[in-house]
Amino acid sequence: MDAITIQILRNKIASLVDEMHYHFYRSGYSTIIRESRDFSCVIVDATGRLIVSPPMFFHAPVYRHLVGRILEIYGADGIVPGDVFVSNHPYEGGLPHVSDMAFVAPVFANGKIVAFSGSIAHKADIGGTVPGSTSANATEMFHEGLLIPPIRIRAGGVPLPDVERLILANSRQPVLVRGDVTAQIAVTEMGAQRVGELCERFGADIMCEAFAAILKGAADELRGAIAKLPEGSSSAEGLLDSDGVVMDKPIKLAVTISVHEGLATFDFSNSDPQAKGPVNLRPSMVEACVFYALIGSLGPRFAFNDGMRDAVRIICKPGTITHANAPAPVSNYQMVNLKLVDVILQAMAHFHPSRAIAGAGSSSALLINWSRGRPGGSNMQYEIIGSAYGGGMGHDGTSATAAHLSNLHITPIEILESEYPCRITRFDMAPDSGGAGRWRGGLSMQREYELLEDASVIRRFDKSRFPPNGVDGGREGGPGRFVINPGTESEQVVRASARFEMKAGDRFLLQSAGGGGYGDPHERDPQALARDVEEGRVTQGAAQAIYGQKIQ
Amino acid sequence: MQAKNPRYRLGVDVGGTHTDLVLLDTRTGTFAVEKVSSTPKNPALGVLNGVAKFIEKGIAPGDIEFFAHGTTITTNALLEMRGAKVGLLITKGYRAVQEVQAQARDGNLFDYFYEKPAPIAPQSLTCEIPERADYQGNVLAPLDREAVRAAARKLRDAGVESIAVSYLFSFMNPQHEEDTRAIIREEAPGLQVSISSEVLPRIREWARLSTTLLNAYLEPVLVRYIAHLSKGLDDAGVHTQQRFLMQSNGGVMPFTAAIEGGRTVHTLLSGPAAGAQASAYLAAADAGRGLVTLDMGGTSADIAFIEGGVPLEVTEGVIARRQIDVPALDMTTISAGGGSIASIDGGGFLTVGPQSAGADPGPACYGRGGTRPTVTDADITCGYLNPDYFLGGAQKLDVAAARAALDTEVAKPLGMSALQAAAGIRRIVDMRMADEVRVFAAKRGVDLSTFTLLPFGGAGAVHAAAVAEELGMKRILVPMRPGAFSALGLLCTDVVHDYIRSELRPFADVSPDHAEEIFALLETRARQELLAEGMKIEDAQFSRELDLRYTGQGYELRTPLDGLFVGALDAPAMEAARARFDQRHAQIHGHAASDRPVEVVSYRLRLRVSVPKYQPVEEGPPLHPRAVAEAQKGARQVYFDGVTPLDAKLYERERLDIGAIIHGPCIVEQFDATTVVNPGWSARVDSFRNLVLEREA
Repeated sequence: MDAITIQILRNKIASLVDEMHYHFYRSGYSTIIRESRDFSCVIVDATGRLIVSPPMFFHAPVYRHLVGRILEIYGADGIVPGDVFVSNHPYEGGLPHVSDMAFVAPVFANGKIVAFSGSIAHKADIGGTVPGSTSANATEMFHEGLLIPPIRIRAGGVPLPDVERLILANSRQPVLVRGDVTAQIAVTEMGAQRVGELCERFGADIMCEAFAAILKGAADELRGAIAKLPEGSSSAEGLLDSDGVVMDKPIKLAVTISVHEGLATFDFSNSDPQAKGPVNLRPSMVEACVFYALIGSLGPRFAFNDGMRDAVRIICKPGTITHANAPAPVSNYQMVNLKLVDVILQAMAHFHPSRAIAGAGSSSALLINWSRGRPGGSNMQYEIIGSAYGGGMGHDGTSATAAHLSNLHITPIEILESEYPCRITRFDMAPDSGGAGRWRGGLSMQREYELLEDASVIRRFDKSRFPPNGVDGGREGGPGRFVINPGTESEQVVRASARFEMKAGDRFLLQSAGGGGYGDPHERDPQALARDVEEGRVTQGAAQAIYGQKIQ
Repeated sequence: MQAKNPRYRLGVDVGGTHTDLVLLDTRTGTFAVEKVSSTPKNPALGVLNGVAKFIEKGIAPGDIEFFAHGTTITTNALLEMRGAKVGLLITKGYRAVQEVQAQARDGNLFDYFYEKPAPIAPQSLTCEIPERADYQGNVLAPLDREAVRAAARKLRDAGVESIAVSYLFSFMNPQHEEDTRAIIREEAPGLQVSISSEVLPRIREWARLSTTLLNAYLEPVLVRYIAHLSKGLDDAGVHTQQRFLMQSNGGVMPFTAAIEGGRTVHTLLSGPAAGAQASAYLAAADAGRGLVTLDMGGTSADIAFIEGGVPLEVTEGVIARRQIDVPALDMTTISAGGGSIASIDGGGFLTVGPQSAGADPGPACYGRGGTRPTVTDADITCGYLNPDYFLGGAQKLDVAAARAALDTEVAKPLGMSALQAAAGIRRIVDMRMADEVRVFAAKRGVDLSTFTLLPFGGAGAVHAAAVAEELGMKRILVPMRPGAFSALGLLCTDVVHDYIRSELRPFADVSPDHAEEIFALLETRARQELLAEGMKIEDAQFSRELDLRYTGQGYELRTPLDGLFVGALDAPAMEAARARFDQRHAQIHGHAASDRPVEVVSYRLRLRVSVPKYQPVEEGPPLHPRAVAEAQKGARQVYFDGVTPLDAKLYERERLDIGAIIHGPCIVEQFDATTVVNPGWSARVDSFRNLVLEREA
């Protein structure tokens, strides 16, 4: 197997994955697909190992679990060309949560499975106790929507309409879901067909050898970077505000990283037992956090694939938050992921201090189910709100951005107001929300809404009670906030994820958390601080009180 | 003043290293080409140097009747952040729009030390103005005129040269922005003002704000440049008032329109547009069946599609990490050029690019100290390029240096020969270009089977045959002067102005009269601007489009209304527009939903005014054609597969007569380009002196 053919096939798979994404993103119907691009498309080998990572990175480790389970259930002999499998099951399929629906199609050459094509995309609604399915207060996975273990939706090229009807019958948004399912099946099949063509051209054996070489290349690269780290171990822990159900009890996430003889071990056993509310993680998500943090810290240019699993050991103890047992609910996984990334990076700083970074502000979700939408429009408004990065060694944190594993687009105000009976009366930056430090944390954004119709509002967020941590003398970032009818007598400050019934004329303010600071604030470069004050990022009061500098 | 004896038309394209000039003699239909060094500090100097060269050769400057100019002045100013000091006025309470941008990060998603591009207008020069309109354009809060006045004074005193104004929903009701501009002009008369309802009256506040900021940032640069160039042309005795500037949409605008303001952003992506336009116009017959253009230069390859005779366009773009949503030819650029460096990455794989050796030190074979192997080094090692005839022999290439670089950096670590490494590098680059074309084709719903590949730029024709083979394309058209193709393209364009107005509404609720009213408004504005630019309304052609989408989709599709109505829009025309949208959706995205409701997002008007163009001359074969052998100037061994040498004949392109046919493997050389004819391919000189390569059955 020569280096040139391997590179050519790697480029071919990468360009095919691009092609699949583009196709899907242009043809998906629902808001989430179109504005937020909450989906992924991939090619994996015959055992489910991912070859080229999708832009939505945290989906990457899921496919191994999903395809592995399909092979367990059906056996390689029980799968035929033209089959397409569907699943959204967090426990059976390793999916992040029930709203994420996966499709998988096998690729055959010479009568043997050589690869699979797959895709995962968030669905607007798949049933469950609340519109949009992702409940902040679910206590079992059965509350989170229709559960689909890996099953066929096409058999030998023949569509099974019964399965699709069953899925649509369980959705509050069957039209949107149908559009997305159709597009997703089409793109998954396209991927499988194209890999089949590559096998015909280059030979299936060459193709499989190239997959193996690409996986090994990534493992070698990561191993090489780990080998340069000092031996030893480092632990860190952090707290989630609550699980959304037992409101006064924070949830502990903990990791111990040890580097020994070139192998990095990530042990999460000291994390809290699994939670009652939907903040439990599947191991696939823990893996996503580990590989994200490891690559970000050691070599941001490394290309992830499942070969990297060979260089790392991940221990998730069953029954804990990082490896819950069914039927524990999981729908609020993303904010847990983001907290876990902070915790892992905190422990990683010991091994690689030049890439140390303070806590980031998480991402959060807003869902508004309108009693009455605009004529001809949808009545389901769904937004993902970004936050900010923490300050890091030599770097201020970036403000008002999607951070770490999350990279979703914000929905424009002009689109929201044109499509839904809402008004966004304010969208600005929160001064002093960036954690003070020699390198300041990024500022959070705040957005105020006015409802023009009655609506049920679900707000999911974290880092309100336990704001993003500072590092090495840096201060915490500003906490996340949700305030209903601010500045009125009925003002209500909410500290945790929940659902609210609101009336036309009600207003609410949401503020994401700001990034933590890095290093002693007194050591901040006076010029940088003067610029902060001039731009309204730091108030004069804070400059004097926290940074100890007087700025005119 | 007009030219006294109008005879010549001049096209000038300024590139990074060279400024190309094409002078067309309308009496004979022939053209002359000049190439001078570009003068990046003040590009007008290079242009004027080139013009002087023609004058030295006896061309009377007063006889030049037409001047068309392609420049990357705004693009370069943006890349180097040399624009104006900009202030920004926004609706009060919405500072985060500029800070959040799209929210999603660009670039490497694993790099948590990520930074956004520096803001064009910092928050300290951003002023919040009380005012607000709703989604239908109704005023919710009146414009606070005193706040505008105070802001104008503050920004003026802060030394701002240019002000951008972008209020929420101004595309529905531009009154507040127009009033704001009037107030700024009273308070700070010297300042340039860009208002978003004029630059890009389109829904989505961040894209509109970003585009307006870029306009404000670069307008003073462009206006200064044009003033300088105009004066230089005047002084040189070039009197024509027909002076035009290339735009991203493939058309030109008069200098007067550029100076008037609001259109600067339309020049930002114009660099590769002239070449694509030249392809559509000069290869009209092939363009009808479909063209892929491949402009391969030193650091990158630009790829564009021409379908049904016209280049495909996009309405959303990014340049230097900044959002700019104006119509532009649909291009994709990959880091595959002659200078792209081959190396072994951390995983032990051979990669090519994105690093480039550039012009200095350049590829190892240039002998200027470059030690890292590039695509050009691979080309010369395989025998595709002539070391003694690069740029017509002006520059000798060092084959041994190329080999040494390949050997040390690639061949030895991978345990192969330098030759195998060279062939491998080529294969990787050629396949990447082909893959890029394929992804692009799939994105656009284009079927390549009837398409012709049109290579230009220095390296395009060296790689075209391999790219075509990988794509299963059977026909390649190499233009007469691949090196001056973009400059020639400047003599092949019309004046094109685009107008847009957004209004998001269910299609079913839009009456034909309402649509007609909006288009009429756009046409009135277009006519006024045309008059102001000194052009004739009789020459104008209007075409209308609707941006439509299925309800719930986030990206709209331009749906042309051509041929659907006569005079004014009526109900059958609207129905037909809906059907056309379904059809286009199926073509581009692979499926349609004729039962789903549709929304209108924007109304578009394109104004086209024909300007005189180069007419390529068709010639018959000579009466006494020279034998093909007379054009042969030798032979050399070429390693197409990196293992077995094949004897390839060498031809001098200029000595091949119309009708001449040669067979691969062979190489055709000319001053500004080399064409590789692979085994199994033939090449024929057509009646326009293009070299047409075809795969033999």
